[in-house]
Amino acid sequence: MKKSFVAASIAATLVLSTSSMLAHSAQTNSTSEKWKNTLQKAKGQTVYFNAWGGADNINDYIQWAADRIKDDYNVTLKQVKLTDTSDAVNRVLAEKAAGKNTKGSIDLIWLNGENFRAMKDNHLLFGPFSQTLPSYTKYVDENARQSLTQDFGTPVDGMESPWGMAQVIFMHDTATLSNPPKSIPELLTYAKAHPGRITYPEPPQFLGSTFLKQALYELSPHRKALSQPVDSVDFDKITAPMWAYLDELHTVAWRSGESFPSSSEEMMRLLDDQEIDVALSFDISAASVQIDKGNLPDTVRSYVFTGGTIGNTHFLAIPYNSGVKAGAQVVANFLLSPEAQIKKQTPTVWGDLSVLSYTKLSKDEQAKFDALPRGIATLNIEELGKTLPEPHASWVGALEKKWRQRYAQ
Amino acid sequence: MPLKHIQWITGFITVLLALPIVIGLVGTLLPAFHYFPPLGEYDFSLSPWYNVFSQGEFYAGLKLTLITGIGAPVLALWLALSLLAWGYQRPFFKKIEALLSPILAIPHAAIAIGLLFLLSPSGWIVRLFSPWLTGFERPPNWITVQDPYGISLIFALIIKEMPYLLFVMLAAMKSIQARESMQACQALGYSRFTLWRKVLIPQLYPIIRLPIFIVVAFSLTVVDLALVIGPNTPSTLAVTLFRWFNDPDLAMRYTASAGAIFLMITIVLTLGGWELAHKVFSAMTRCERSNGKRHGVSDILLGTGVILGAFTLLSAFIALILLPFWSLAKRWRFPDALPSQWTWDNIERAAPLLMELSANTLIIALFSTLIACAISLLMLEIKRHSMTNSANPSQQYAFDWLIYVPILLPQIGFLFGLHVLLIYLNLNGDLCAIIALHLMYVLPYVYLTLKGPYLAYNEDYLLQANRLNNRPWRHYVSVKIAMLKPALFTAFAMGFSVSIAQYLPTLIAGEGRYSTLTTEAVAQAASGDRKQVGSMALLQAFFPVMVFWLAQIIPSRWTEWRLTIKKRLKKALTKKDKTCSA
Repeated sequence: MKKSFVAASIAATLVLSTSSMLAHSAQTNSTSEKWKNTLQKAKGQTVYFNAWGGADNINDYIQWAADRIKDDYNVTLKQVKLTDTSDAVNRVLAEKAAGKNTKGSIDLIWLNGENFRAMKDNHLLFGPFSQTLPSYTKYVDENARQSLTQDFGTPVDGMESPWGMAQVIFMHDTATLSNPPKSIPELLTYAKAHPGRITYPEPPQFLGSTFLKQALYELSPHRKALSQPVDSVDFDKITAPMWAYLDELHTVAWRSGESFPSSSEEMMRLLDDQEIDVALSFDISAASVQIDKGNLPDTVRSYVFTGGTIGNTHFLAIPYNSGVKAGAQVVANFLLSPEAQIKKQTPTVWGDLSVLSYTKLSKDEQAKFDALPRGIATLNIEELGKTLPEPHASWVGALEKKWRQRYAQ
Repeated sequence: MPLKHIQWITGFITVLLALPIVIGLVGTLLPAFHYFPPLGEYDFSLSPWYNVFSQGEFYAGLKLTLITGIGAPVLALWLALSLLAWGYQRPFFKKIEALLSPILAIPHAAIAIGLLFLLSPSGWIVRLFSPWLTGFERPPNWITVQDPYGISLIFALIIKEMPYLLFVMLAAMKSIQARESMQACQALGYSRFTLWRKVLIPQLYPIIRLPIFIVVAFSLTVVDLALVIGPNTPSTLAVTLFRWFNDPDLAMRYTASAGAIFLMITIVLTLGGWELAHKVFSAMTRCERSNGKRHGVSDILLGTGVILGAFTLLSAFIALILLPFWSLAKRWRFPDALPSQWTWDNIERAAPLLMELSANTLIIALFSTLIACAISLLMLEIKRHSMTNSANPSQQYAFDWLIYVPILLPQIGFLFGLHVLLIYLNLNGDLCAIIALHLMYVLPYVYLTLKGPYLAYNEDYLLQANRLNNRPWRHYVSVKIAMLKPALFTAFAMGFSVSIAQYLPTLIAGEGRYSTLTTEAVAQAASGDRKQVGSMALLQAFFPVMVFWLAQIIPSRWTEWRLTIKKRLKKALTKKDKTCSA
């Protein structure tokens, strides 16, 4: 009797576990079935990928991906080179205004932060889709970084697929400046000792706004408030130390704070021309790439602040009215594959940090990542140090508005 | 042109032109009053206007816009008139004329980047004298460009506008009897500058009034030039609007639309003020003009203008010459006056795209300019017809001012509304749509360049020809068009270079699916990399420079070529006949 009970219970457990296993495999079957379907649908489609086109090496990388995608999936990828991502946001908006809810002109956009928030809040995006991409489920660890699930404090909710990671780095020419300032207060001390040699890009250029966030993070005693929407906190009180700091900095800044560079690229040019001593970038391999192109002397090196610098993730999203959503997903999935991510992180190609989880990769793929050469002026992961989180997306607009009110009138 | 159904044609073309303009305007006007369905706003409100007027940056930008937008055309006009008065009909001036075309042809952004490199504290002028003379091992902390007063922006605008005005003036000179006036005045003992001031400029000004208006509107609304070389804290109103329109916070679109409407009103008021100032000025100087004095203070004014004008042209050329150097430079660091390392890489990198880009660019430019020439000829003929036949010779067709509306409006606010129309018509991303949109910008320039010479054409030649042998269409082409060749070619070259330089219209109508040399160059300019910009600008300028050069060469040699070809053909034909009959 007892025996039979044991047997029955074993049998029951077996049955239960098998059935759950069966259910599980049925589920994976259905997702892979679905993906097969997507692949099938994508065949022959042309995906218009709207991406910032200001850097040759990035454009070349996209072209490489396009060739690979054409070969493997029979999907044609065409880059539409933007000067400003908001052009694409505007275009989707125009299409919505005209009632063009299918076959829109944009199939994939490279974006993050404010542009993502604007598109998500105004229901201009297709999704959620990213969490069902095979590369995502297989290689992305959502817990690895907050910025994978919170794009500037806006929940991603699968509405965009991660593509790469960025972090603020600083560049200096070791021939003229051997011991660069390594924090926001040190930067001011240096500027006072060397008037006209320190500056930062003009907000609302995103790197300029990021500099403000970096300063805010280091100077404000109320760091926790930064992760909350700006309406819910006392903006003036939190930002007061930063404005006092900027007032002081501008008097000794490049061109006396009357004028500011428009971008990271302009800052690097000014560094090369020796007008300024420290340049910023969001691209950790920028210095190596520019040295290679002859745009910076080979004595330039990158560094980060001792207390860490702001970092974030950039993404790919599909507009709600794209006519080739299957093709767009195939592209997003390919760009998230280890092959594409390894290529992208190669310093001579782009040097953009991978969003994949190292531990989820196979041994072989890990070895490939380990073997990546590093540019002469590119920092490794340990040297990049601590990544500071982006404040909530609502801070960007508030900081930019206030900055222009104070310094642009 | 022997035309029938004149009313019908003008009506049709006017509607064709008015429709996109009206819809584009409505597309800007409605959001300015907070009506914007895609963002779920269906209630009218004045809040965008409150927002505009509560922004401190708006007032600062407006002030700067007025300074640069009025200062630059005034100075450009002065310098252009001075140069013309000084050099007209002098043999070496022909060479300067030929050199104008590269400046006209080069896109604004490229020339601005060239100037930036020339004038900035780490620029070429300082490099040339450093460190041996100045002692600068490193660039000084001066504000020579992007200065808060907009001086560098005014300078850049003059460089772009003065050659255009000079070009238009040279074309217009053909329609006033300049040589006779000059001979008569000089025989009476008037100095060169005085006769220009008293006799020729008053005749010239009414003909070139519209080009001047275009220049004023351009100065008030220019974005790409101001972005590169203008002050940025604050920036001009157009740049501020551009930033608001591109703000990721889509609610800023309302404020931007209201600002765009305000900018349009500013343009209208400025032009009104300009016209009024001209009336007052000519009334004030009337007795001075007829006082019989052979010399005057204005001689000094024009003389100074010549020196400044020559200096301006010179800096433009140096800026342009430096760009190709950049495209060949690998390392070029301060204070080197020339690159320390050279390379072909920059050009090689640009090469693969070249074929596709050139093909797109040429197709768009050729078609839009040819259509613009055809429409201009048609409309001008109708205008001439009404001037000779109607009881009211100064009657203006709606067309006459309507075609200027697109170039007088700030592009960004107006094109967005138009884009919606294109999507409705399912024409977005279509090559035809790009050509149509280019046409809107090309047509005014072609029409304008052609207008003076065409209306001044002495119709008697045509009448005589028709009296001898009544073949109106044939004579229209073989007599009138043939005699107007120089003006026609000039107009074509002008339209062509305008089309080549279009950035926003190409992007908006083509949705980025058709890249041209310009869209590519502007996308590259985003990188701020002088080497890339140098190479792209070089390619971008190549075709317009060629077309301008041809426009100078062909008309004067046309008849010779035609006759040679005809003679050879005839010879060949008679030979053939002979062999046939034999």
